[in-house]
This record gives sequence, structure tokens and C-alpha cells, in this order.
Amino acid sequence: MCELIAMSARFPVTDRGVRDSRRTKWLPLLAAVGLTLLERPAHAQCASNASTCVSCHETQGVRPGSQTEQPWHVDHGFGDLCASCHAGDPASPARELAHLGMRQPLAAPESPCVGCHTDESSALAERYLAAAATTAPSASPTPSPTEQRATPSTGATASSTADKVLAALAAVLTIALYLALRRTLPGERRSLGAWLRAKAWSPYSAGGLLGLVVAFSEVVYGRPLAASGAFDKLAAYVGRWLFPSSQYYGHIMTPGITWQVWIVIGVLAGSFASSKLSGEARRRWLPDTQWEPRFGGSRKRRLAIAFSGAVLVQFGAGIAGGCTSGLAISGGAALAPAAFLFMAGMFAGGIPAAWLWYRGRAG
Amino acid sequence: MLEIVEALSLGLLFGWSLHKAGLTHYARIVNVYRLRDMTVMRFMLTALVVGGVAIQAGIDLGLAPFAPIPPTSILANVVGGAVFGVGMATAGYCPGTIVAEAGEGRLDAWIAGLSGLLVGALAFGVAQPVIMPTLARVGALGRVTFASLAGASPWLVLLVFAQVVALVLILVARVGRRPT
Repeated sequence: MCELIAMSARFPVTDRGVRDSRRTKWLPLLAAVGLTLLERPAHAQCASNASTCVSCHETQGVRPGSQTEQPWHVDHGFGDLCASCHAGDPASPARELAHLGMRQPLAAPESPCVGCHTDESSALAERYLAAAATTAPSASPTPSPTEQRATPSTGATASSTADKVLAALAAVLTIALYLALRRTLPGERRSLGAWLRAKAWSPYSAGGLLGLVVAFSEVVYGRPLAASGAFDKLAAYVGRWLFPSSQYYGHIMTPGITWQVWIVIGVLAGSFASSKLSGEARRRWLPDTQWEPRFGGSRKRRLAIAFSGAVLVQFGAGIAGGCTSGLAISGGAALAPAAFLFMAGMFAGGIPAAWLWYRGRAG
Repeated sequence: MLEIVEALSLGLLFGWSLHKAGLTHYARIVNVYRLRDMTVMRFMLTALVVGGVAIQAGIDLGLAPFAPIPPTSILANVVGGAVFGVGMATAGYCPGTIVAEAGEGRLDAWIAGLSGLLVGALAFGVAQPVIMPTLARVGALGRVTFASLAGASPWLVLLVFAQVVALVLILVARVGRRPT
């Protein structure tokens, strides 16, 4: 029970308070950018991928719907659709507000279904009612308070003495590893300017920076650092126009210039800044190395192969639920098996493909 | 307004690190799959360990109640990854590096890369109702982590993970030194 109380207490008070105090540290930086600070209207506009339903019930494991055998949860598990049937406010981080106006879908199952399934709503409703009758008590839509904490999240809030010792150990190890590795790295000390203008950093430094950015995005903003989602959001403008009756574009992937789109625009700017400072920014059509010996100097050929590769990459990211950044790195840092399965798949697909392109060639 | 500045700043650092790690080069990406250049592995695995420790520290310090966790559905994750890997080994792209390449002035990324991503996204939108209900259901575990699956402390999982990554990176360092 204490966990639930802690959660509900944390949401409205501590969480927001801490976020605000964290933000004040960044105020000088943001002020330097020269923009007026406007109070952000809660999290409602954020267009994050996950509703707060999913955040608490699935991520934190408070009565997760996805882990049940109930057919309505199984059938709708492909998307973040809780509010389509249960109503409530999927954007509100406060427990009381998020649950305001919720309905019990099974009490009158046809009305929630008809929102998406115009033609078949009564057939679906019958099927679910029949299933509800057979799986009776555990599927009861009004659980007792004791049932509410039946599946507490393991780990997320665990903080025993052993954990603290491990945390301290990890900190010491980090310092020790840094000291050990520093000697093996090339010794010369560079000025800040030279460091910013460097053509390349050690992949460990660049990776460390990316790790911190990912963690900042997840901890402070509660969102993964993702690239592919932005293109889904942008393509949805065309998709909804081409397929006005599509449920995918109507309910799951609605178009919008969202957080993710701004992230991607930031990536463009960041890469431009880095390459401009290092003198690498220039217009060119072909990769600098390896391409021409294998594929020749034709621009059309590069564009054709690059285009097909990009299509496959985005399609694969759609199936897997994210790309290298949003799934492999952001999810992997959160220790989700999905990320490592995705990386295993990447190698399972990429190694044969690279072999086919380069078979019988040394370079 | 503030949201946009925040997202742009995060993206800026993201793009900066992609470029400084040298991931805007076709050969860098493709040669991972030819097991000849492990820069990308070093970059990603370092990001994973640093990010994992920082996220867990943030949660333990009470800065956030939890981190966003992507849903695990074994078949969808692996099949999606395989399609992704084929595309990556073909073009030398992933969605993030296409944008970073565009920022560096590469016209193939501007013309073929960005349009390819949009077409790929549309193609997935069309295929989603057909393929995903089946794909996403096989091995669907929900939004789990290794720690929640095993009922273990996330710190212990992180420690083991960091050690595995260190081992992999030491082994990978040998591959990287192979003359190309």
C-alpha cells in the first residue's frame, strides 16, 4: 500500500517540484538562447508516445492490462489505446485527474467499441461479454483496493542497503576505470576550442555524452530520445490524407509537429554545428570512402540504393517499435529486453546483407 | 515554446555526438556488419552503460518515478530489427544518422534519405493493421525490464551488464585493429 501512496504523493508534489528545480539550473543556458520563458501547460500538449495510463499501469506495473489474458486487452495491446475504451484523461500525470470521467467498458461495451469499429461493434461487444462471463471473478472491472497492489513493480522503487552498496561500488569503479583508461589514451591535453573543433572524438567520449543526453531525456522529460518516431508523425499528414478511414492514422499515429520532430531538427542543427566547426561541412553526393570502389561514381545509383535502404530502415523501426536511438539506446539504457532483441535482429539482418553487397571483395 | 527549446537542445547534443563519433560515414555503418569497424558498437555500448547508470541514479534520487520502457514483443522486435539491419547495411543509414548526414551537407541524405524515411513510414502505416496484430502478439511481454523480469535489483543488472559490455568492448577492440 505504501507504494501506491508514495506514488500518488509523488506525482503532484515531489515530481513536479523537482522538475522545476532542475529546470532552474538550465535557466542561464536557456536565457542565453534569448527566449522568453513561458509556463508550460502541464504535460497535456506533450505528444509523448506514452499516455500516463501506460506509464503507471504498464511501466510501473500497477495492474498492467497487457499482462492479462483478457481478450479485449490482448486484442488492443498493439497500441497505446487505454483511453479509447476506458476514457479518463490519458495526458494527466496526477492520479485523481487521470481517472476522472473513466467509464467501465464492459458495462455498455458497444459504446466504447463503436469509436473505432463502426460496422462490427455489436459483434465485438458480444464476443467480449461472452469472454467476460467465462473468466468472471478475476476480470471484474472494479477491483478491491487490495487487488490494486497485486502486482507491484519489482525493482523500480527497490532501494535496499545492498543496492546502495552496489551503487557506491559502481561509482568507485567508474572513477577507477577512468583513471586506468586515461593513461592509455593519447596524452596531450587540448583546449576547449580544439576539443570542439576536433574532427572526431573517441567513440567512448561521444557515446558517454549521448548516454547522458538519453538519461536526461528519460529522467527529466520522461521520454526516450528517438529519431524514427518523428518521421512517422510527419508521414501521418500524408497518410491521413491518403487513407482518411485508416484507424492507424486516426487513432494510433496522428500527425503532428511534436517533441520528436523538434528533436530531429535539433539533430540536424547539432550535426551542422559540429561539422561546421571541424571544417567537415560541405555539399557532396557520395560517401567519402568505400562507396566508389564498390558502386562507382553514379549519383543516381547512390540515390536509388540510399532510398531503398532508408525505406527499409524506417519500416523495420515501425515493426520493432523504434530505431537505433529510440529503441536500442533509450530502451537498452532502461534495460528493456526489447532493445537487445532489436540489436540481435539488426545483426541477423545486417551481416547477410553486407555480405551480399560485398561478397568476393576485399575492400 | 520552452518545450521546443528543450527538445531542440537535446536534439542538438544528440546530433553533435553522432557527428563527433563519426557516424555520418557510410563506411562506418556498413563495416559494422562486415565486422571490420566497431566504432558504432563502442559508441552505442558506452551510451547504453552511461545512460543506464544515469537513469537509475536519477530514479533513485527521486528525480523521476520511472523511465519510459518500450514494450517487448519478441517476434516484432527481432523481425523489425532484421529489416532495419538489412536497410542499414544497404544504405549505411539509420534514421538518426540520416538527419546527421543531412546536417553535414550530404545531398544523398537530403534527397534519398529523408524521402525514404517518409515513404518507409507511410508503407508501415499501410501494413500496420495487416501485420502488427500478429507480429506484436508473439512473445508479447509488455513493458518489462530485465530487472522486473528477474525480480532483481536494477543496480545488480546494470553492474553485470556493464561488465559484459566491458568484455565485449575489449574483444571488439581487437577486431577494430584488423587492417582494412
